[in-house]
Amino acid sequence: MSARRLRSTAVLGISLAFLLAWAFPIIWSVLNSLKTGSDVLAYPPKLVFSPTLDAYRDVLFGSGSILPNLISSMIISVGTTIVTMLMAIPAAYALARLRFRGKKFAGFYVLATQMLPPVGIIIPYFLVLRNIGWIDTYQGIILIYLSFSLPFAIWLLVSYFEDIPFEMEEAAYLDGASRLRTLWRIIIPQVRGGVAVTIVFVFLNAWNEFLFAVVLSGNTVRPVTVAMFNFVSVEQTLWAKLAAVSVLAMLPVVVLGVVAQKHIVKGLTVGAVKGGGRR
Amino acid sequence: MAPSAIAAAGTGSEAASTDYGDALALRERRFAAALLAPAFLALLATTTFPLMFLIWTSAFRMDLAMPFTNGFVGFENYRVLLSDERFWSSLLVSLVYTGSTVALQVVIGLALALLVMDMKRGQGWFRLIAILPVVLSPAVVGMIWRTFMLAPEFGIVDFLSINAGLGSQNWLGDPVLAMVSVIAIHTWQWTPFAFMVLLASLASLPEDIYEAARLDRASAWQRFRRITLPLLRPAIVMVVIMRTMVALTAFAAIFTVTAGGPGTATEILNLYAYRKSFTELSIGYGAALAVALLIVTIIISGILFALRRAK
Repeated sequence: MSARRLRSTAVLGISLAFLLAWAFPIIWSVLNSLKTGSDVLAYPPKLVFSPTLDAYRDVLFGSGSILPNLISSMIISVGTTIVTMLMAIPAAYALARLRFRGKKFAGFYVLATQMLPPVGIIIPYFLVLRNIGWIDTYQGIILIYLSFSLPFAIWLLVSYFEDIPFEMEEAAYLDGASRLRTLWRIIIPQVRGGVAVTIVFVFLNAWNEFLFAVVLSGNTVRPVTVAMFNFVSVEQTLWAKLAAVSVLAMLPVVVLGVVAQKHIVKGLTVGAVKGGGRR
Repeated sequence: MAPSAIAAAGTGSEAASTDYGDALALRERRFAAALLAPAFLALLATTTFPLMFLIWTSAFRMDLAMPFTNGFVGFENYRVLLSDERFWSSLLVSLVYTGSTVALQVVIGLALALLVMDMKRGQGWFRLIAILPVVLSPAVVGMIWRTFMLAPEFGIVDFLSINAGLGSQNWLGDPVLAMVSVIAIHTWQWTPFAFMVLLASLASLPEDIYEAARLDRASAWQRFRRITLPLLRPAIVMVVIMRTMVALTAFAAIFTVTAGGPGTATEILNLYAYRKSFTELSIGYGAALAVALLIVTIIISGILFALRRAK
């Protein structure tokens, strides 16, 4: 019996160690963001200290404020989400529900577009956008974000559309409702949950994107994931501020992730080829 | 239209292939086309068109730093590429990075899922904590690790290393340690994903098989080897495919930590194509490297999909 207890203690210990390993870098950033400039440099590292919001005040309202970048990130993410959903919902419905020639090919095409490495998309796009003056603009970034958000959103939504019973639509047709009206009034309300989950994921992937943002951003449009590197590239790294910026960059996606917790696995595995967006 | 209607009626499979049915089908096709058009135009413009343009660009010498040398060169970029040592070394780094991160994610993720599965309390904590790394931007993750975890005489990992008597290490400045570090960071961020997917599949396995195995006095290892592993195979293969595709094109997770350095020690093929195009401004050659990456991706996914079908 004691061997068994020993084993369960070991299991618990190992599991807790992993739990800590995953949580620690995030907790540590939060702790560092609440320290003063001298506390953060203390050696050995301080776990107990008097917390302050100075670093946040500095990065939000001091010189070189990160606020415009947070707003940039928000505009890009919300814009990408709106455009993506407007295009993906009708397309996903057609792929899930309607009969037409080439349907299999259309579905395959959506999946195959995800095989293209991002660096292979950004090289030609950089050349094109440079010619039409769309570098450092919102429309330039949002357009290119469709390359990964659309295939993902379409496949996630198809999986939700496939779950609704056909009878609902048939009843609506028999009542003389037009197809578009049926889609809008009957079908979309049925997949509200799926639409919400898709919105969360599209927003998350847009917020987190980095490669396209690095190439296409400039002084006007620079999302926070790119801008935060200003805090390390200067002569000395401003540790507490850097921590505060990291926490601000993490905050929206962590909140969304926790809220959508139950749906994360489905969202991450959709499409079974890639899914989960571009990392 | 008439012959097809007769043919359809002849097989008797389609009762609705009257003129009225055809008209309905036509309307359905038109409706489908209208619904699909915006998304497919956007996909053509943001994926297929760039692919064509990329291949076209790879046939040019296009040097933004030296525009006077630009011009059509045919397959020249590819000939250079085949004898480019940096290309082969970046391909090797890509394969090592992808192979090791994917293997680590699956092994650790599966082991942990097996441990946590039988837990009566506290599973919720694991599910909650596991979400966190997965939703973060790899750029933010790279930044946190590079500074608060790995910076010499400041980061926690270095602190632990000093206290363990290993001394302070230059985690990102030494070629081997830098490679280990970027592999560890990617594994840290994405093992929770494998863990969550495998935990969900484990929970859906039928209980009665295990009951029967227990009655047959199969050992825990036998139950794992003969029942769990074969039943989990589809989920494991799916995780491997998805993670391989992402690891092959990882960018932010390395760029923000080592930028490919020291030297080219952590420069995966994806990063080499980026550096060539946007740092050295040789866009034509960078495009050829991107095409090479696409070909590698297609070959590897072909192998993995064949593996999925095979028994």
